[in-house]
Amino acid sequence: MIDPLTASIRVAASGLEAQSMRLRVVSENLANAESAGRTPGADPYRRKDVLFSAEVDRLSGATLVAVAGTRNDPSTFRLEHRPGHPAADANGYVKLPNVNLIIELADMKQANRSYEANLQVVKQGRDMLQMTIDLLRSGA
Amino acid sequence: MIEGISRASFPVADMRASLVVPAPQPPSTEFAGILNTLATNAIGTIRAGEEAAAAGITGAMPVQDVVEKVLAAERALQTTIAIRDKMVGAWLEISRMQI
Repeated sequence: MIDPLTASIRVAASGLEAQSMRLRVVSENLANAESAGRTPGADPYRRKDVLFSAEVDRLSGATLVAVAGTRNDPSTFRLEHRPGHPAADANGYVKLPNVNLIIELADMKQANRSYEANLQVVKQGRDMLQMTIDLLRSGA
Repeated sequence: MIEGISRASFPVADMRASLVVPAPQPPSTEFAGILNTLATNAIGTIRAGEEAAAAGITGAMPVQDVVEKVLAAERALQTTIAIRDKMVGAWLEISRMQI
């Protein structure tokens, strides 16, 4: 049996890791927003989505969050008329990634807010533990 | 009683000197045994925190993990110190007793 305050810090730490993984995927999407294919008609970079899942920590029995993996976004690619491009098809159209800047920025904001919330849990848990330990000191 | 208190304080004093991580001790019901278990388990937590800090410098471990483990080590150290201070206080209290 692990102390619930310690367990909550562990859970929040798993949340921090999950959100940082989410930011990684967002950064990959943003960096590859213009990554087209190399051969005529080839598919460009496909936007990725991060999937979270609940996972029970065997040591503490607390429910952690884990990144279950990433999913490729099946939405359609953007088409742009760029005849000279190496990935242009017979009609001069190039397939560009299905990355939408607005969606990525909103996702990034959400990852940031979630990260802050989890950090707040870590701070709170630490403060509560510290106050409890301090009880031993002030009595001396 | 005095014997028990002084024996229990030894693992705390040895904490920095020992390089081997001791195996977690099963709980004991004796007063000195309880404190001994506490100190030995604290050493393990502190050692894990030090390893995490080293791994964090090389980037081998996620920052979040490092922070969590170092915080756990910090708490273990503070708890151990607080309990040691209590024990030393109790010991001094007994030594001041009028004979």
